Amino acid sequence: MTGKKLLSVRNLEITFRTEGEDIPVVRDLSFDLDHGDTLGIVGESGCGKSITALSLLGLVPSPPGRISKGQILFEGEDLVQAGERRLNQVRGNDISMVFQEPMTSLNPVYTIGEQIAETARVHFGLSPAKAWARAVEMLDLVGIPSPDTRAHDFPHQLSGGMRQRVMIAIALVCEPKLLIADEPTTALDVTVQAQVFDLFQELKQKIGAAIILITHDIGVVAQMTNRVMVMYAGRKIEEGPVAEFIRDPRHPYTRGLVSCIPRLRLPPDDHPAPLFEIPGVVPSPWELNRPGCAFAPRCARAMARCRTENPVLAPLGDGRAAACWLETEAAA
Amino acid sequence: MLKGSLRKLLNALLLMIAVLVLNFTLIHIAPGDPVEALVGEMGGATPELIAELRSRFGLDQPLYVQLGTYLGRIAQGDFGHSLYYDQPVTALIAERIGPTILLVTTALFSAIALGTVLGVFSAQRRRSVLSHLVTVISLAGFSAPVFWVGIMLILLLSVSVPLLPISGMSSADSAASGLFYILDVLHHLVLPALTLALIYLAFYSRLSRASMLEVLGSDYIRTARAKGLPKRMVIYKHALRNAILPVVTFAGLQFGQVISGAVLVETVFAWPGLGTLAFESILRRDTPTLLGILFFSAVMVVVMNLVTDVVYRRVDPRIKAR
Amino acid sequence: MTATSTTPASAPEAVSPGRQAWRMFRQNHSALFGLAIIALIVLASVFGPYVYTVPPREMVWMPLTPPGESEYLLGTDYLGRDLLAGLINGGRVTLTVGLSAAVLTVLIGITVGALAGFFGGRVDDVLMRITEFFQVLPNLLFAMVVVMLFSPSLLNIAVAIGVVSWTSTARLTRAEFMRLREMEFVKAERSIGAGNARLIWRVILPNAAPPLIVVAALSIGTAILFEAGLSFLGLSDPNATSWGRMIGDNRPYILDSSWGVTFPGLCIFLTVLAISLVGDGLNDAFNPKLRQR
Ligand SMILES: Nc1ncnc2c1ncn2[C@@H]1O[C@H](COP(=O)(O)OP(=O)(O)OP(=O)(O)O)[C@@H](O)[C@H]1O
Ligand SMILES: [Mg+2]
Repeated sequence: MTGKKLLSVRNLEITFRTEGEDIPVVRDLSFDLDHGDTLGIVGESGCGKSITALSLLGLVPSPPGRISKGQILFEGEDLVQAGERRLNQVRGNDISMVFQEPMTSLNPVYTIGEQIAETARVHFGLSPAKAWARAVEMLDLVGIPSPDTRAHDFPHQLSGGMRQRVMIAIALVCEPKLLIADEPTTALDVTVQAQVFDLFQELKQKIGAAIILITHDIGVVAQMTNRVMVMYAGRKIEEGPVAEFIRDPRHPYTRGLVSCIPRLRLPPDDHPAPLFEIPGVVPSPWELNRPGCAFAPRCARAMARCRTENPVLAPLGDGRAAACWLETEAAA
Repeated sequence: MLKGSLRKLLNALLLMIAVLVLNFTLIHIAPGDPVEALVGEMGGATPELIAELRSRFGLDQPLYVQLGTYLGRIAQGDFGHSLYYDQPVTALIAERIGPTILLVTTALFSAIALGTVLGVFSAQRRRSVLSHLVTVISLAGFSAPVFWVGIMLILLLSVSVPLLPISGMSSADSAASGLFYILDVLHHLVLPALTLALIYLAFYSRLSRASMLEVLGSDYIRTARAKGLPKRMVIYKHALRNAILPVVTFAGLQFGQVISGAVLVETVFAWPGLGTLAFESILRRDTPTLLGILFFSAVMVVVMNLVTDVVYRRVDPRIKAR
Repeated sequence: MTATSTTPASAPEAVSPGRQAWRMFRQNHSALFGLAIIALIVLASVFGPYVYTVPPREMVWMPLTPPGESEYLLGTDYLGRDLLAGLINGGRVTLTVGLSAAVLTVLIGITVGALAGFFGGRVDDVLMRITEFFQVLPNLLFAMVVVMLFSPSLLNIAVAIGVVSWTSTARLTRAEFMRLREMEFVKAERSIGAGNARLIWRVILPNAAPPLIVVAALSIGTAILFEAGLSFLGLSDPNATSWGRMIGDNRPYILDSSWGVTFPGLCIFLTVLAISLVGDGLNDAFNPKLRQR
């Protein structure tokens, strides 16, 4: 355990209490992040991406949820053990988050300027006037035109894209060391999505924060991050540098995922390949208590072993790893 | 925005006229007419006298003319004459409105204040004793007839333990004045206000609890927490301000319905307000007075709706845009 | 837990919404308790007078006899009438008026709301104006006026209550209809030529049923309280005993006989409480997600 790592998640397990039973939705999850690093987390809906992100801020909705095992080491300090006071010093200050739903994530009864400024007041102890000036500065930074008048606007006076920019401004106002963006563009129009990603690209240079970007879209990961982690049914099933990952995905599920984005794989003049579809659906957390690989029921290459034993995450060199018996056996 | 306000005012005016038309219609389709009643009280009269009386009251005119005359009189502030008290209805109402406002304002404001506190705290701890208490209060308060609650409180707090006066607004034997008079009135106010407040409390604790629960589960509260705001800021700055909105709406609506709400409680405690006046007019079949109170209450409802609208604009920025 | 109940949550397919709601309802102890009380009260009111044949409005014993001091279990009132007989017979009146008023409330409310929500536009404007008007009327006072002007028969009382109480049902129905009329299944029905009447009553209404059932149940409780208030004020059929009227009649004598007001009040309280419990239970059963509230 080196203290140098910005973030080191160790064997994290998160459970939700349903009908009197603790059902794990994230299991045995470990990953690391260096200062200034960018990590993409991809996976199907319901695989536990958002819950993982929330757990980093100590915001797993509780009850019914809780972190039942593992550590979240932030600069060597275990946030799982930290109290609410300490967490409040970290939230919005060292680690901040941009949520999936810009339309509902801002408080309708306060001006956007106030919602940015209060964060600066709380963490930096700025005076109201200084905090307001800082808020206007942030609005300018995230590309909102005439920021000093716009700061007096209420959220309902802004479009979805503008609101998401405000959310980004809130997240960045205290110059965090880690920015988590949970599907920041899913709720936006396609053209606006592109603008918001451009903003992220631009800010990435300026702020020097480490970024965790959660998305369904491998294409976005390819452009925005240098490492990627794939989750399936609450577990990490593959991880590695983006370039290699896209050129040569290892896990059968990620192969499916990568082939879903033809523009990345096909030369432009080639015939478009038929869109790859992974048959079947994500298993519900209830079904995960049975042994074996969670993906086995949908996997074309599943073997007998896949249905009885859960595959272990095996390193593949170059910082890559995959959890699949095919890989393990090929290596052996 | 100005146009919107004008439309609202016009709408309010139309509603009041509609209430008057309804009053008028009711009197005319109800069995028996005022002349027959009067004749009955005089112990009979000749057909000529009856015809004479009819034309004196304008009852021989076509209905729409009568309606016009009626509306015209109201416009001049003439609500007719109480058959029993032998006073103009407006004078009677003016005399009785004070006690009603005192009673209802006390009850409503204490219920809203306490109900909001109960609701807000119990929403934060769903399985706590407080939370169950709110459930019990709201169920009981919804199910118990308010007049019965009043009588039970009398039996408890005036009869078994003689702490509070049974009825009235001041002690008949005391010619107290100044501060003593005020204290005497407050002493008499406790029971009726408590009764009414219990019923409102049931409603407001449940309303604010539901509202607070919804707000606490909202995305912007998650944002506030993710920003690292201390808990009291999350609750009292971000959540409460939003959770209070439905409370404001309903407080306005209910304040308009005050007189209706006070009839039963005032009757139980012989509180000398409009509610008791309404009850007495029923006993005495004093139609002009009862209709006057009905109209006056409707006006209160309309006015309070307008006021609520203005207040709501102040607390919810989203409304201004429209 | 039995062996077969290991996957109750993950196997909700093939169960009709009604069945599912009943399943939830059955697990709700307070709602079942409410249902039991209602059953008891209804049975007592319907069959009670044949079993317990003491006449409710005749002097049968010394006035103001406390409970337990004579063969008349709950004592007598200021006119020497048997309180228990009054309660049993009064229950009939209270329940009948409450139920008919509630039926009227729901009928008017659903009709107005359905038409307004389904047709929208001008129809909606006009109907909502009318609804607004009835909301402005102070409901108890207006009912008092109506009952006073037209004799206080049970029918008039029920009508007066129904006429002042339907607005919230109408608003709810309207909202549901506005939501549902845009749904695919309604468009599909329309495209195969279903007429408006069919769309309103056979296609949309059944789908709007759950919240309306809850409101209908609760409106019985409200109507009972309303009737009690009116008859407490003396606005009741002079030839019928009702719980509210018993309280009104006995109120001047509370210093001598607290039982005369306590028992009828308890009856009203229990009945409405039971109805609220069932109503809340139905609400939870139809919206399992909100259960934690
Ligand atoms: N409040 C909750 N109560 C119970 N279960 C929950 C709750 N929140 C999330 N879950 C469960 O946790 C699992 C992971 O949810 P999560 O929101 O992290 O998925 P996700 O990967 O972010 O999906 P999406 O791409 O749709 O955002 C899901 O199976 C979900 O059912
Ligand atoms: Mg998510």
